[in-house]
Amino acid sequence: MNLDFGQITPYIPFMIEGIWVTLKFVFVSLIFGFALGTILALFKISHIKPLNWFAIFYTSIFRGTPLILQLMIIYFAIPQLTGYDISPFLSAILAFGLNSAAYISEIIRAGIQAVDKGQTEAAMALGVPYQQMMKDIILPQAMKNILPALMNEVITLTKESALVSTIGYLDLMRRAQVVGADIYRNFEPLLFVGFIYWLMVVGLSMIGRMIERRLKVSD
Amino acid sequence: MIKVEKLNKKFGNNEVLRDISTEIAKGEVVAIIGPSGSGKSTFLRCLNVLETPTSGDIVIDGHHLTDPKTPIQQMRQQIGMVFQHFHLFPHLTVLDNLTYAPIKAKGVKKKVAEEKARELLKKVGLLNKESAFPSSLSGGQKQRVAIARALAMEPELMLFDEPTSALDPEMVKEVLDVMKDLAHSGMTMVVVTHEMGFAREVADRILFLDHGVLLEEGKPADFFSQPKTARAKDFLDKIL
Repeated sequence: MNLDFGQITPYIPFMIEGIWVTLKFVFVSLIFGFALGTILALFKISHIKPLNWFAIFYTSIFRGTPLILQLMIIYFAIPQLTGYDISPFLSAILAFGLNSAAYISEIIRAGIQAVDKGQTEAAMALGVPYQQMMKDIILPQAMKNILPALMNEVITLTKESALVSTIGYLDLMRRAQVVGADIYRNFEPLLFVGFIYWLMVVGLSMIGRMIERRLKVSD
Repeated sequence: MIKVEKLNKKFGNNEVLRDISTEIAKGEVVAIIGPSGSGKSTFLRCLNVLETPTSGDIVIDGHHLTDPKTPIQQMRQQIGMVFQHFHLFPHLTVLDNLTYAPIKAKGVKKKVAEEKARELLKKVGLLNKESAFPSSLSGGQKQRVAIARALAMEPELMLFDEPTSALDPEMVKEVLDVMKDLAHSGMTMVVVTHEMGFAREVADRILFLDHGVLLEEGKPADFFSQPKTARAKDFLDKIL
């Protein structure tokens, strides 16, 4: 045992910068995944059969194959197919966004279905159009049911984001590897970024609890 | 105003309503009574197409509700409904519960809708609760808000689905009083209820349903004192 954290000191700013890089693509992926996930969830509860089938098929594909495989296909296979040289950032967003959409759609579907059926009936009886009702009455209430599971998904996504180091995207994880290769010491940089991941997850959990508390105002 | 012709409703093989025909005039207050599972609520829910009839026809103000071309949404805006379990929007304040549908479905201006809402809250005695959330209200208060919410759309017809069945006994009166006022104001009302006192006092007509069949209809005075069918007599003997 000869741990020497002094050696990584010059690299700390380089690694800290990775927080921003990681957060940036996790955030964008999440927005993308959430938007697509909401649409897929609405497809799943729709009475139009082909929409149902599409959403179920989509979910089964993206939940049924490894995320790293999806990432590799997007980053390495798409250029081979289309000739378009896709950037690591775009690949990462696509893979994580498409993948999390599958999970998020399940979370939202369950959340919508957990809203009391009486709410739909009350809105229908008042002559509120379906889309308005979904937007103003059902989804806001579903959000409250969804939030804990959604927060879980955000946390998972933040940690899984380390996978993008495999396509050379300079995220937190990749930076630890770069530093490790530079100073021939792996334990210190890995431990350092591990600590940062943990801090980020703790921070996200706290934000999640804060939002949950604010949504509870009407209870 | 409402004409129901040979209305049938099946859930799978279960015949819930069988060949129900009746007419309800404008300004009339009709109470629907009968044992549990007799199809009272289903009948009521057919009147605003929360349930789609299996066969038969319902005509309201000349619009055939079973015709797919009938704009059901617009029709529903003129048919208020009050549920047994209130179904207030829990994430909206009392005032927003009242103004939501007028603003979003009917395109009423916010200021106008709020004025109207306050007027209605005053009528049901809850003006001081306008910024409260439904969860902080008692059952009786919730139901009064629910009635006000339905009235905010300025409906021509009000449907009540056992509006007092989920209430604590001491809160029944406050809700019935609001309904009485409404009846006296000339509103057309169809009320599914177990409150025989209310039916006798306020209704112009009683419909008695049993096993999905409209067994008997008549004026409350006649129905309660000398029911024509043995089934109705038996039912009244048990509950009165």
